[in-house]
Amino acid sequence: MPTVLQNIFSFIFLVLFQVLVLNNIQFLGYINPYLYILFILTLPVQMPRWFLLVLAFILGLSIDIFSNTLGMHAFATVFVAFFRNGIVKLFTNIEEGNNPTPSFYTFGVSGYVKYIVVMVLIHHATLFTLEAFSFVHFWILITKILLSSLVTILLILGIQSIKTK
Amino acid sequence: MKNLINFLIQYSVVFLFLILEIISFSLIVKNQEYQKSVFLTSSNSMVSGMYEWSNSVVEFFKLRAANDNLSEENTALKNQIINLQNKLSTLKPEISDSIHFRIPPEMEYRFISAKVINSSTNKLLNYITLNKGAIDGIKIDMGVISDEGVVGIVKTVSQRFSVVIPILNPKSDISCKFKRSNYSGGLIWSGEDYRYASLTDIARHVELSLGDTIVTSGYTSSFPEGIPVGNIEDFKIKESDAYYKIKVKLSVNFHTLSHVKVINYLNFQQQKDLEKKSEEQL
Repeated sequence: MPTVLQNIFSFIFLVLFQVLVLNNIQFLGYINPYLYILFILTLPVQMPRWFLLVLAFILGLSIDIFSNTLGMHAFATVFVAFFRNGIVKLFTNIEEGNNPTPSFYTFGVSGYVKYIVVMVLIHHATLFTLEAFSFVHFWILITKILLSSLVTILLILGIQSIKTK
Repeated sequence: MKNLINFLIQYSVVFLFLILEIISFSLIVKNQEYQKSVFLTSSNSMVSGMYEWSNSVVEFFKLRAANDNLSEENTALKNQIINLQNKLSTLKPEISDSIHFRIPPEMEYRFISAKVINSSTNKLLNYITLNKGAIDGIKIDMGVISDEGVVGIVKTVSQRFSVVIPILNPKSDISCKFKRSNYSGGLIWSGEDYRYASLTDIARHVELSLGDTIVTSGYTSSFPEGIPVGNIEDFKIKESDAYYKIKVKLSVNFHTLSHVKVINYLNFQQQKDLEKKSEEQL
């Protein structure tokens, strides 16, 4: 039960932090970290997939409502949530019947870093490509994806390394 | 039949995934008709209320700059008053015996002041939310300016809030001209830098020089003529091109924008109706 409450709080906190603080970061005009994806990344591994997808949709839509980008964040978040289990299997070997929450301790440092990097890259690439949909500036797009992903990844790894087990 | 059900159960997650993605995508596409989605954007009252609250904190830090701006504007206005009073006193005798009195075009504009409670400069599609809405007399298509120059055009209005499409959005298209030569073109944002935009449709025979001032042309009914937009920062033309590539430094700093004025053009409806009528007759 505490896990559920904890997740509800982290949902609300991440959405507010994203729309009130991070969306105002406009460093160099390219960097806009999307930390809220951390919510999807820290959900327990064996969570039913349909529930994960629905949560991802609600999360994305909440961000969308605040930032006037109806549908874009929802699309990217559902997309990344769909591929989560496959990526977890790819980088870690979790025994049958275990249900760990992703972190440095359960995945091992290298496994966890790989998992974060791949997930954030997929999410940011989908999101920025969608945003640029009607609009061709390929190199700006690539720079935006890479720089923003880098900042998000560093933020997530920083937060996760502070967290005690 | 059993196989079919098994198949559906086995791939239910994939179907859910597809359904959610289709919903998201249709939302993105439908969002093009921007006016209809007031409910799910930041002019929704709960979301705006929260932005207003967060803005009241941030605004405190911008007070000094705002004060400086206001006092500068004050002096400029006072100077203008003196100038106008002088002019008025020389013109008075002529006006008093004129029979054909009408409201001069300069007085058709009224300003509604508003505060920016949410804005972005780093996206490809940027929007600005204001804390005034239909109750305060704001309508769709009204122009928005700040003390420094043109900001954008009102696109969505709810009871208490409104959303503006600023120059920093490829969907905005504001007609501009050179203050010096009156040649006009459209202002387009290229999506790279919030300080610069580009001016299109200027033919190669037009004489340009760096630093030329660009103002609104008054051809769109959202803005009166002569509101500053920016200065020419750089311009290029190739041998084979018919039009210049002009880089304009915008006079408004969108990063620190906090107080704006919405232009209420009193004869807007009349002008629109007249233009529509003449189009129909052709």
